[in-house]
Amino acid sequence: MKNWPWLILTPAIIFVLIGLFAPFLMTHEPTVQDYKAILAPSSWSNWLGTDYLGRDMYSRIIGGARTSLVAMVFVLLAALIIGVMIGSFAGYVGGRTELVLISIIDIALALPSLIIALALIGVFSGASWSWMSDYWKMIIALTLAWWANYARMSRAVVVAELQQPYIEAARVMGASHMWIFTRHILPHVLGLVVVYASADAGALVLAIATLSFLGLGVAPPTPEWGQMLVDGMSYIEEYPSLVIIPGLALTAVVVSFNLLGEAFALQKVPKAVRGGLLRRKKAARAVEETTRAATEAKV
Amino acid sequence: MQRMFLRRAGLALLLMLAATALTFALVSAAPGNVAALIAERAAGAGADGEMIARIANDLGLNDPLPVRYLRWLGNAVTGDFGVSLRTGKPMSEEFATRLPKTLVLLAGGGVLALVLSLVMGLAGAVSNGGWLDRVLHGVALIGASTPNFFVAAMLVIVFSVMLGWVPTFGVSGFTSWLLPWITIALFPGSVLARVVRVNLQEAMSRPFATTGFAKGLTRRAVLLREALPNILIPYMTTFGAQFTLMMIGAIVVERVFGLNGIGAFFIEAIRFRDFIGMQAVLMLFVVFFVSFNLIVDIAAMMADPRLRRPRRA
Repeated sequence: MKNWPWLILTPAIIFVLIGLFAPFLMTHEPTVQDYKAILAPSSWSNWLGTDYLGRDMYSRIIGGARTSLVAMVFVLLAALIIGVMIGSFAGYVGGRTELVLISIIDIALALPSLIIALALIGVFSGASWSWMSDYWKMIIALTLAWWANYARMSRAVVVAELQQPYIEAARVMGASHMWIFTRHILPHVLGLVVVYASADAGALVLAIATLSFLGLGVAPPTPEWGQMLVDGMSYIEEYPSLVIIPGLALTAVVVSFNLLGEAFALQKVPKAVRGGLLRRKKAARAVEETTRAATEAKV
Repeated sequence: MQRMFLRRAGLALLLMLAATALTFALVSAAPGNVAALIAERAAGAGADGEMIARIANDLGLNDPLPVRYLRWLGNAVTGDFGVSLRTGKPMSEEFATRLPKTLVLLAGGGVLALVLSLVMGLAGAVSNGGWLDRVLHGVALIGASTPNFFVAAMLVIVFSVMLGWVPTFGVSGFTSWLLPWITIALFPGSVLARVVRVNLQEAMSRPFATTGFAKGLTRRAVLLREALPNILIPYMTTFGAQFTLMMIGAIVVERVFGLNGIGAFFIEAIRFRDFIGMQAVLMLFVVFFVSFNLIVDIAAMMADPRLRRPRRA
């Protein structure tokens, strides 16, 4: 990572900081309506103007960053933990268990994650789920739709790593399965998966915004970019800024995470699955599968 | 070769069955839902528990899940997907009126993405590191990062509101399709342009390209004759994946531009808790995605003999 372009992290870090310190950056309460200043142009008190309910656009954009960030971090962490656990278990145990788990992963990957999330939100809209807020329904639906990519990737890394001679050496040494897994294999899995997740964050921010745009994500009073955009669509002829501002914020965040992803992709084949003396072919195939999973999952 | 195809097709069929079974189990996870909704529709707020129970019994909603799935599957195979709770029309009718619109949207978007990506990728490769290459790289990055609903909004602002060239909403003739097509083609076009560019670059560093140069061919000739055929397989597989993902774009675009396609219906069904409609659309999606992936896999195997040997699962 010596020659790695660290500067590329800057925009992503700025987004995270804005999300973290949102309460201190907002000039207005983002949900407070001011009927005396409806659709106002930008001014000293409302830097980016106000929306159709007189809410301060600048504060809503900042608040929207926090909404996206919180949801994104929750989904990413949960999907990563579930995916790594299931995927590495499948890869390590092998045999029939692996086959069953792989089939489940394949079924989960048969439809694009966003469509699965949409379907799950539909299921959660039933009366028996009414105790959960829309925000958490969205987070859970996205998590359940997102874990399979991580599971597939983790399994590929574990399978490749198990071929390495040092695993055999550890086994001969009398190391337990738990030791071998946590000490030797897990670091490799996490190395790849965490890097991938940081690039995946952009896709997730986009998914959250898309769900809200479709009216199935974050519910109205909470500031959220996709939902601000869909609200602005009704005023697109006279007040295009209501659409353009949240759209630009969203694009900027996704671009910054995608830049990160591209920088990682230039590293190409992860260190975790390089080399291998025993059964090279199998390892090579696993590498192929990992990179393929990474590129496929990226879209 | 043939056995390989059959094996793939069989696996795809199994996957479809498993995925539809799973969606069926999920969607009907709460058994009272459908009956309660129908009762509500029929009797307004006056629907009581007895009525709901009777409807549930009539529809066989109390049977065990596997029985219900098999019955649903049997009906679906014969073209009966149930009656939509949202519109009150049979789903087969909904499909007949809505599917053509979605297909026109996807086909137009696919063609546009193909053209866009080839032009951008090739222009970038010809320029190779020049200003055009860098500009196109930037364009592709932004194109692959802009949410499609924002693209749609910007197109409406520029072409409908400011220039007044095309209608904002609804379908009326060829021009009204232009904005939806551009919207859904931008993302796959940008991703594919990168695939073309990166793979061309890689191919240009291979020995056969050096041979081409040694033969005295111009750079353009090596690019088009030697390098270009080599991007076919990565291009084909990515195109397949991107084409299916355009379905997500279609869901958004149909809502923005008011096209009454399958995607718009899916969102309506979710918001309205039309579980029968949701189930039917999800089945359609499963068949669409799995069979398209199968076609791409087989096409790749036909193009590249190395892919024909069996892979470990």
